Order: sequence, then structure tokens, then C-alpha cells
Amino acid sequence: MTGASHGAGHLLRLAAVLGVLLAAAFPLYWMFVTSLTTSASLFAVPPRALPDPSQLGVYAEAFQTIPVARWLRNSLIVAAGTTVLSLALAVFPAYAMSRFRFRGRGAMGLGLFATQMLPEAMLVVPLYAIFADVGLLNSLGGLILANTAFTVPVITWILKGAIDGVPLDIEEAARMDGATRVGIVLSVVLPLVAPSLAATSVIAFFHGWNEYVLAQTLISQEGLRTASVGLASFVGELSTPVHSVMAIGVLYTLPAIAFYLMVQRYVVAGMTAGSVKG
Amino acid sequence: MASIKLAGVTRAFGPKRAVDNISLDVKDGEFLVLLGPSGCGKSTLLRMLAGLETLTDGEIHLNGSRVDLLPPSARDMAFVFQSYALYPHMTVRRNITFPLIMRHHRWWFHIPLIGHLAKRRIERQPDVAELVDRTARILALTPMMHQLPKTLSGGQRQRVALGRAMVRKPEVFLMDEPLSNLDAKLRTAMRAEIIKLHQQVGGTFVYVTHDQIEAMTMGTRIALMRDGVVQQLGTPRDIYADPVNTYVARFIGTPPMNLLTAELDGRGGVVAGGAVLGLPGPLASLQSADKAVVLGVRPAALAIRPAGEPGTLAGEVTLVEHIGAESLITMKLASTRTLHSEDGSAADEVIATSPGYSELSAGLQVGVAVDTTDAVLFHPGTGERLW
Repeated sequence: MTGASHGAGHLLRLAAVLGVLLAAAFPLYWMFVTSLTTSASLFAVPPRALPDPSQLGVYAEAFQTIPVARWLRNSLIVAAGTTVLSLALAVFPAYAMSRFRFRGRGAMGLGLFATQMLPEAMLVVPLYAIFADVGLLNSLGGLILANTAFTVPVITWILKGAIDGVPLDIEEAARMDGATRVGIVLSVVLPLVAPSLAATSVIAFFHGWNEYVLAQTLISQEGLRTASVGLASFVGELSTPVHSVMAIGVLYTLPAIAFYLMVQRYVVAGMTAGSVKG
Repeated sequence: MASIKLAGVTRAFGPKRAVDNISLDVKDGEFLVLLGPSGCGKSTLLRMLAGLETLTDGEIHLNGSRVDLLPPSARDMAFVFQSYALYPHMTVRRNITFPLIMRHHRWWFHIPLIGHLAKRRIERQPDVAELVDRTARILALTPMMHQLPKTLSGGQRQRVALGRAMVRKPEVFLMDEPLSNLDAKLRTAMRAEIIKLHQQVGGTFVYVTHDQIEAMTMGTRIALMRDGVVQQLGTPRDIYADPVNTYVARFIGTPPMNLLTAELDGRGGVVAGGAVLGLPGPLASLQSADKAVVLGVRPAALAIRPAGEPGTLAGEVTLVEHIGAESLITMKLASTRTLHSEDGSAADEVIATSPGYSELSAGLQVGVAVDTTDAVLFHPGTGERLW
């Protein structure tokens, strides 16, 4: 390839990346600009392209007059709890499905799949009845449990696939070296499926963070509201304070982005390269 | 120091018996090679020794006590895998130290941060570090102790795998084709290293390979297997000189032994392709009722003479291969049949080795002289050696 065509290809790729980036980032930018726009100029034509710094007070207001901090804290607890619990509950079944031959193995896998066919909205009523019976309504722990029930099946399947890819030789080597089965899972298998753990933790975290239907139904106490429910409560029948909604939207987005940036470096494959064969 | 006794060891996968009723003793300090083609059950047998595979029937004893029901870690055996099976997320040092860490393992080592610190503490204990460093020096791994396996070459990875086995100071080393992923040159070098390791470390070695050169050079004894059954157990020399059947005769030696159909002449010789060949003492007295036999001669026992010389087999040169110190000469025999067709060779071709650079060329008519001093006779039906 000549230097010129190489340069052109590079530019083209850069343009494509920029295009995708723009498509993804523009709504966020628009949200940010709108949050810093006076109500009067909200519907101006042409719309404001740059944020109005004099409107920064809307963020202070969000924390002072609206319990945004509490909502975000609740969302964080639910998302983090869902992540930890989902992974903890999925790792060992995934390992068993990958490595052991037992009666009902196929049924177990199919059963996990089947749960994914039912829409959340359909399950929310029976779930409400059960939670009411066992006293799990209005509890963040209960909400974590409900969210986990929806994330565990898919995470189990993803992790099973990842564990399938870990060479059996490595596990047998660990067995020869005196590791117990639990030890093998925790200190050999899990580090090798770290990219999948990171990917599944993103799935669980965002499920817990974004979830609305369960949070709206199972939580009625003001102080336990999550941010998704809180945000929706602003959308009124007659009026919606657009810049406040957008400001809270921005605040709601930031922790999720931060979490993703934290784990994304693990979402790279290639950890098992070099373990076996030459 | 360890001796191993296998008694009636069997492993069945469905109706197929991968290992069929094998009984053998491995003496203390021995280097036993399990040799055979792929699918003969040699790896399965090794994995049963290690405890990675369960037995369908039979018993395994180590130093007189039964071990086949014990988990792998309780058998004091180390296993070197064909694929090396290093822990890719651990440094070379941690890979080698891993078995020693496992020796001190407590359940709370599973707690993320605390476990990490505890493992590092064991790794830094003077006795542990000293043993690991010494092992690394022996294997020339010292400069790469902080690298991950993926940054190492195949030979270096294999040495790490050996190091991980050595630090345990096991009673028995089990090796499953450890050299087969290496290129030819490195394989020869590592072969010598493993032989030295056996001499230095002592201990009992059981080594699986499909490569008869490895078997001949490394083993103090060889167990040649086929279809889950040991065909012959003996020293490399015994197996080479006195193969018990035609299978062993053809498997050991490159090029393999020539098997000629012949008939006993009743006067202490055999007739092959019209030529009468005298037999050495013990074979000469063997004049059984059925006169057809199979005469086994190594390629070095065939000499090429001018065509028509009395006492030689008529033939035609079909291929000459020069491999440096000697030449391999393939000849098509005019009136003598061989038993080689079973492994895909032509039914009338034999191979002779001739020292130096042979000037023969394909198409030349020759006479093949057979030196029967070290010849072996087999039964044509069963393939078993006679006498």
C-alpha cells in the first residue's frame, strides 16, 4: 500500500469513528445544553447551540430542592447490589453448566433461557404479590433481588460460554497442583474470563441503574425512590420543567458513564493467549 | 522414591475399551515410556495414574499403597501437559510457585485482597523463594521470572511447566507428550534436558509419546501399546532386537523392519523368493509343522549386490533417498512378497540402508543379500514371534 492511500484510508476511518461518536454523543450534548437554557429560549428558532453558563444554578437547585442526591444514591445501591449479587449467583451455575455432565443440565439451560422470554411487565404483578407476602416491598434489597432475577439467566449463559473457552488442561494442572474445585474457579477460571466478567457486570449494572417498571411498582416510599422513577415523576400531565429534567438527566448519566469507563479496560479479550500451545 | 504397580487397569468409554486390563510394574527411579500411535490409550493410562481419569476396573498402587481412589493432589505426582497448561494470568514466578502456595492454602485465601497478600507472603518466604530460584536457575528461567507466559517461546513455556512440576519434588513425574509442540531442533535439545533432569532429580518418570525416537533415547523401559493393550514391555534394546510381534517390529525403528514371507526348508534355512537363506542357531532348530513363516530383517541387514548373484533376491531399485550419513534404498522385489501392505506400503517393497552416499539410481536391477544373523521369525497368521 502506498503512503498516500494509507493516509486516505486512515482519514476515512477517522471520519467514520467521528461520525459514530457524534451520533452517540449528540443527544448527551443536547441534554446538557437544554439543561442550561432558560425556559423562555427553550423553543427558540434556531435553537441554542451553546450552553448558557448563567443557568448553572439549575444544578444547585436540583440538589437543594429536589432529592436528586438521594435518588442517585438509591440507584447506585440498587445497581451495585444487582451487579455483585448477579455475578456471585451466576458464576458457579455457569461453571457447572460448562464443566459437569449431570442429569437435568439441558433442562437447566433451557429453563434459564425460558425466563428471558417473559416480559418484565408481565411478571411484575405476581412479583408484587409475592413481595407483599414476604415483606420485601419498599426495600432496596427487595428491588436488588427482583433485578437480579432478571439478570442472572443471561449472565449465567454468557459466563458459561466464556468458561467453555478456558482450556481444560489449565484446570487439570491446578488440580494436580493441589487446588480445590472452588479454588480452581476463583483463582484460575475467573481471572481468565475477566473480560466476560466485566461485560456481564456492565449488563447487570445498567439493568439495575436503568430499571423502571420494578422500581416504580415495588417501591412506593418517597425516600427509597431510584433516579429512574424520580426522573419520570417530573414528567407532568400539564407541564414538564424541561431544563430541570435535562439537568437531572445529565446527573443520572454521569455515574453510569463513570462505571463503564472503569470496567471497559477489562472488556478486552486475549487473556488466555499464551497459556497453551506454542 | 516410588514404585508403581498397575493391576488390571481398565478404562472403558461406552463399549470401547481405551485401556484394556493393563498390569505392569514401574520400578523406583525408572524412566518408563508409554509408546504408541494416537488413540492407543497411552494418554488415558497416564491420566488414570495422575487421577485425572477414573478407572473402570483395576487398581493402582504407589509404594505398595492403593492410590487410584485418591484425588490427584494426594498422589504426590506431577503432571506435565502437552499444551504446557501454564496459568496465563500469572507470572513465571507465580506459575512455578503455585503448587507450593496451594500446599499452604486456607479457605480465606479466596477473599480478594487478603488472599492476594497471603499468597505473596508465601511466595516470599525464604525457603519457598530459594527453591523456586534454584529451580529457575536449573531451567535457565531466571531472567524471565516476572514475565507472563504469553511473552515466552514454546521451549521456555515448556521449561516453566517442568519447573512447576519440579518444585513439588514429587515421587513421580508424569509427562504427556511434552515435546510434541516444539520444533524439531528444540525437541532434540529438550529431550536431552529431560534425560538430564531424570538423572539429577531422580524420581520415577512415566512419559507418553508417539515418537519412537524419543522412546528409544529416553526410556529405561518402553511399553509399546496398541488398542489399549501393552504389546511389549522391555528395554529399548530388547524391543528393537526382539520384537514380540510384527506390529512391534514395524513400529520401532526407522525405516521399519522388513517382513518377508518365506518358508522353512526343513534343513535349518528359509526359502524366500527362490533364494535359500541360512538361519542362525536358535532359529535353525525351529522347524515347525506349518512351513510358512515371516522373516523379519532390519534395513541394515540388507545389502545390495549385482543382479543375479547366487543367494540374493532379485529386485529393482525404485527410490533412493540420501539422508547424509546413509542412504535409504527402496526396492521392488521380483518374486518375494512382504507383509507391509497393512500399513499402506506396497506389498513387494523393502527398504535397505546403505552407508554413505549411494550411487544407485531408480530402475537399476539388483540382487538383495539378506544377513540373517539378527533376523526374527514370525507366525504368518498371528504375527507373533516364533520361539
